[in-house]
Amino acid sequence: MKRWGRMLWALLSGPGRKGGTQGWAFSSWPPHSPLAGLVSATELVSHWTAVFEERGIPEARESSEYIVAHVLGAKTFQSLRPALRIQPLTPQQVQCIQELSSYRLQRMPVQYILGEWDFQGLSLKMAPPVFIPRPETEELVDWVLEEVAQRPCAADTQGSPLILEVGCGSGAIALSLLSQLPQSRVIAVDKGEAAICLTHENAQRLQLQDRIRIVPLDVTLERSWEHLSPWGPVDLVVSNPPYVFHQDMEQLAPEICSYEDPMALDGGKEGMDIIFHILALAPQLLKDFGSIFLEVDPRHPGLVGSWLRSRPDLHLNLRAVRGDFCGR
Amino acid sequence: MNRHLCVWLFRHPSLKGYYQCHIHLHSQQFRRTHLDTKMWLFRQNSNYILHSVFSKNWSRRYCYRDTRLLWKHKALHKYMEDLNKEYQKLDQCLQHISVNEGDRRSLNQRYAKLAPLTVIYQEIQEAEQAIEELESMCKSLNKQDEKQLQELALEERQTINEKINMLYNELFQSLVPKEKYDKNDVILEVTSGRTTGGDICQQFTQEIFDMYQNYSCYKHWNFELLNYTPADYGGLHHAAARISGNNVYKHLKYEGGIHRVQRIPEVGLSSRMQRIHTGTMSVIVLPQPDEIDVKVDPKDLRVDTFRARGAGGQHVNTTDSAVRLVHIPTGLVVECQQERSQIKNKEIALRVLRAKLYQQIVEKDKCQQQSVRKLQVGTRAQSERIRTYNFTQDRVTDHRIAYEVRDIKEFLCGEKALDQLIQRLLQSADEEAMAELLDENLKSAK
Repeated sequence: MKRWGRMLWALLSGPGRKGGTQGWAFSSWPPHSPLAGLVSATELVSHWTAVFEERGIPEARESSEYIVAHVLGAKTFQSLRPALRIQPLTPQQVQCIQELSSYRLQRMPVQYILGEWDFQGLSLKMAPPVFIPRPETEELVDWVLEEVAQRPCAADTQGSPLILEVGCGSGAIALSLLSQLPQSRVIAVDKGEAAICLTHENAQRLQLQDRIRIVPLDVTLERSWEHLSPWGPVDLVVSNPPYVFHQDMEQLAPEICSYEDPMALDGGKEGMDIIFHILALAPQLLKDFGSIFLEVDPRHPGLVGSWLRSRPDLHLNLRAVRGDFCGR
Repeated sequence: MNRHLCVWLFRHPSLKGYYQCHIHLHSQQFRRTHLDTKMWLFRQNSNYILHSVFSKNWSRRYCYRDTRLLWKHKALHKYMEDLNKEYQKLDQCLQHISVNEGDRRSLNQRYAKLAPLTVIYQEIQEAEQAIEELESMCKSLNKQDEKQLQELALEERQTINEKINMLYNELFQSLVPKEKYDKNDVILEVTSGRTTGGDICQQFTQEIFDMYQNYSCYKHWNFELLNYTPADYGGLHHAAARISGNNVYKHLKYEGGIHRVQRIPEVGLSSRMQRIHTGTMSVIVLPQPDEIDVKVDPKDLRVDTFRARGAGGQHVNTTDSAVRLVHIPTGLVVECQQERSQIKNKEIALRVLRAKLYQQIVEKDKCQQQSVRKLQVGTRAQSERIRTYNFTQDRVTDHRIAYEVRDIKEFLCGEKALDQLIQRLLQSADEEAMAELLDENLKSAK
């Protein structure tokens, strides 16, 4: 028990750690904790679940399962090899889990703690403050893929669509499209330097760097489209733009507001600021009969529709609106 | 009934000699003899080495004769003759121009199906004839002065015999009705039975699941865990896996059913008193459908996710990617939380759901077949007890073919011992199917 205490101390008093976290760690340590002896993955998951629950951390069980599985080299606890669940862990593994869990106690999103997450079956590196892709966006990608498959006319440019992604973040949308459309090319733009770097890195990891062009660009700036025109008009524009209403920003969970870049979320007063900019780019960048795919708030389709009617010069029609898997 | 024996026979060339005697002795006692000798032979086979030494002398003498006996066997002979006639008739029919398009197509299909059979049949006939000629030549040879020639003839006869055996094997393989789903991948589910004492069921379930995992590895199949619910105190409640590879369903289809265990628990009172407990677990093997086989209408599905509650999209960041699919018309429920990506979990869940729906179709199909054919192995429902693992006697018994293996530990490794049993099961299922085929043919001729 004493040895454990010491180890913990050394860990938490390391540079960059807040003093405040020391207190909980000691107090939450039950005197006859299973951690005193050799512990298995299953026991460790229950232990950390209890700790997280006590501290009011959301998704307590999921968080501890992901962390333990990650340290043992699996993506989810469910996919962990059965034998590994009951096998005792090495002190290094326990320590590693300890360290990662302490981040979770500070409400860091699990995706940042693990440093990676899956999107459409691709493992992508995640790093704060770059926006973490949500499962709803996986459906947006599916929709785009469906439409591309149904439109042979998009195949006139050397048999492959050219796609523009606005606000690529970690590169999730762009890279998942590239991996499923082996002939396609993507121009990914983002105004955040961290996002540009992360997209570069993820493209390298997935060996997709040859078909993606990553451009630092702020679409809200005047004449920003001129930077893109050298690559010619595109077949598709895809984006998951910031669409949270400014007034809702305060209600976001600590995981989001203290770790993720608010620039990737805050869509202004009606959540439409960036959406307008993207739609306004269309005439300059989009081919005739090209399409724009956007993920928006459930309140937005009406607003987008009426705004488009007020701007006939854009020659855009709202073609379809789809709810996500939750019916939103 | 004799033909059952014969058909069975040529699959075991090494046993033939001994077997031959047997037939002569018992050929009048129909069905019972059939079963008895079969069992007897399986036991003999486990003493393979001893037996093959023993049978060497016999097989020399009887080898060709017993194939001929088989050849002369009425049912098979007649069946092949019938097919041959049909083939020739088709040949004539197809040469006539008067046949209309639709008929021609179906005739062509049947023609193409029969063609390889008749080729084999003809080759067998030719080989048979060659042997007969050789034999008459041997007889006419004078023992003293033409010894060399005699030896040559013997050798020749040996090679022709081997060829005939091979041809029979080929014929057999092409005659046995092919099962529709043999090539498919499977979803394998294990569930522990209700425990009557101790935790032997859960422990046993885990051992069996591990066995199939090892077997997949042994067969170079891909084993993908879909679901794993361990028991609280060690062992396994329920687990499912997707196994993909070459002919997976063919090999695993006879593994479905109740597996029984008999052992002394490792802990508790019974352990101290050395009392033997009996427990069960069940294995379900579902053939995995191809995309086209089962269509699931999205409207029939209810998708439950953790994110369904509260706000969505950019407003929340949840990591629970578990998906539950409910198929409304059938009430089937499938869950998946194997992946971090929710859309992948949904894909996997949908795959499992398809397999389950597919299984219902297959069962229906099988029910129809069952009323026609009653195979000993083939059509057992998955709810029947198929095998007992007796740990105290260190013995595994398969109840369908009365097959026994020693050394449970080795068996549970899921390698050679299990593979041998599975091969035996396949063999007897084939034989039953073949016997059934010939039976039907005889009946219809009457």
